[in-house]
Amino acid sequence: MKTYDRISSFFWFLVSVVVFTESVRLGLGTLRNPGRGFLTFGASGLLGILSIALFLQASFRKEEKLEGSPLSHILWQRILSVLAALGLYSVLMPTLGYLISTFLLMTFLFWSLEKRWTGWILLSSFLSTILTYLVFSKWLNCQFPDGLFGF
Amino acid sequence: MTFVDSILYGFQVTFQPTNILFCAIGVLVGTLVGVLPGIGPAGAMALLLPATFKFSPTATLILLGGIYYGVQYGGSTTSILVNIPGEASSVITCLDGYQMARNGRAGPALGIAAWGSFIAGTIANIGLMLVALPLAHAALSFGPPEYFALMCAGLLIVTYLAQGSVLKAIMMALVGIILGSIGLDVITGLPRFTLGINELTDGVGIIPLVMGLFGISEILENLEGSLQTEIFKTRVKNLWPSFQDWMEAKWAILRGSLIGFVLGILPGGGAVISTFVAYAVEKKISKHPERFGTGAIEGVAAPESANNAAAGGSLIPLLSLGIPPNPIMAIFFSALIIHGVQPGPLLIKQHPDLFWGLVASLYLGNALLLVLNLPLIGMWVKVLEIPYRILFPLILLFCLIGAYSMNNVTFDLYVMLIFGLFGWIMRKFGYEGAPLVLAYVLGPMLENALRQSLLISQGSFTIFFTRPISAIALGFAFLLLLSNLFPYFKKRREQYERFKE
Repeated sequence: MKTYDRISSFFWFLVSVVVFTESVRLGLGTLRNPGRGFLTFGASGLLGILSIALFLQASFRKEEKLEGSPLSHILWQRILSVLAALGLYSVLMPTLGYLISTFLLMTFLFWSLEKRWTGWILLSSFLSTILTYLVFSKWLNCQFPDGLFGF
Repeated sequence: MTFVDSILYGFQVTFQPTNILFCAIGVLVGTLVGVLPGIGPAGAMALLLPATFKFSPTATLILLGGIYYGVQYGGSTTSILVNIPGEASSVITCLDGYQMARNGRAGPALGIAAWGSFIAGTIANIGLMLVALPLAHAALSFGPPEYFALMCAGLLIVTYLAQGSVLKAIMMALVGIILGSIGLDVITGLPRFTLGINELTDGVGIIPLVMGLFGISEILENLEGSLQTEIFKTRVKNLWPSFQDWMEAKWAILRGSLIGFVLGILPGGGAVISTFVAYAVEKKISKHPERFGTGAIEGVAAPESANNAAAGGSLIPLLSLGIPPNPIMAIFFSALIIHGVQPGPLLIKQHPDLFWGLVASLYLGNALLLVLNLPLIGMWVKVLEIPYRILFPLILLFCLIGAYSMNNVTFDLYVMLIFGLFGWIMRKFGYEGAPLVLAYVLGPMLENALRQSLLISQGSFTIFFTRPISAIALGFAFLLLLSNLFPYFKKRREQYERFKE
């Protein structure tokens, strides 16, 4: 965890520098009349200080017994494929419409996680798409995009 | 209106058919969410929130209240029967609840959990009525410095009670404040941190943020490893606890209710911490502490009472001060804002139907949970038998729908996915989402209060220390911060960590 704390502290330090700079650009105002960058100036400054504190704390801490990395033993392929599918769904939904894009997404998710026979996957995807469409669009009046094909 | 009139008025509001329906849907959805892993109360509330737009704020709040209560109940069922806590607030119930089930006493464990929840919920409701009104009245005299100090103290308590590193929790709170500042500046009306993206002018939406941090990241964490689940089958009989069980559990229920109620009021307390504290207190004062962990009924009664009482207690700062004490209340807060209701000291006076209707609905919700759920225990266990590989795609779809349907823009889906990935990575690195969400909601209010205070004082920070309430709140926050350096507290914290493990 020591190395991971150092990495994360470095990341937060970078974030604090970016926000700090932008806050100054936005204008700090005066104490009598604080500007729009006033609070974020303070928050980012404190974040920067604490990230340095975390870095130092991690650096001077004795290395724990080998616990293993928190990022090891992860099925990366599964995680990344699910994230990619969700990202693609977000991009394609306005073009393809809710029904088609959701059917494709559910087919992929069931296929990648369930590994059952194709008929079962297609039927489950179809049912989950139609049922959510009926409940959320028809009953609860959510406005889903129709897409290119008009449905 | 007298006190009794107000209560009767509340029941009149609650017993309208729409509100009864919303209460029933709320407790059922809440129980389902409590049973299922992967989608917590915040995610479920966020999912259903867009569906409430055409209904009244009262009906919406009744639905959310039902979900919150239902989650506490649903989590205990799975903790007792299958040793899988559906929610964090039911983790501690596994210790003795599951042991009771293994000893063939699943029925009394479920029964005492249900009755304990009911009694605690009732006590919390009475407390809510007694405390919220005078507090709201007193809060009318609060100015921006008092609000600023109370919010600062609240945020610091949240970070102090965080389960991991306090330093990381404070960092997350600061990130939450920065995220909350994205969008138009309330005072000048000019944009900031929008990166030139039009959709960010209104700020980062709380629904995609919460869905991402608590829903998507939880699913990703579950997808890391095997999706196989093992369910320990047990027979449920004798749901009514025996006289002996009642005698053993009665004080645990009462103590758990009081602890839960008080910790629920405190910022960051909420249902989770109260269960740990209630269990620890019971074990500490028990004549037979060695029984704990082997199936002691007090070990089920105390935490289950505490989490329900905390649910009621946490409504107090929201409804009387307009300050949400935990992420769940932040969703309540957003729901009220979306419906055009400003939470704060004037809420009870301006919207008595909402306040008294909610209070009465909590009674109804508790009763419904007792009447509906005990006979339905078999069904909830069946729900758990649905394989994760079928459940997770569906939960992901619900998250997508929930995030999209708020504003009907795909940008919210991107936001949710980014925060989902962010939340998942942050979990790996030992950071928590709760301080971030709370600071995100409190951030704009905190900024307003700070800027108004400085305007009033003409730039002097002494305004925070010359007014008694803000001085006490800030002093308390400062002491809390210092307490991390004291070895005594450090030792207690380590003990707590060990106990939690």
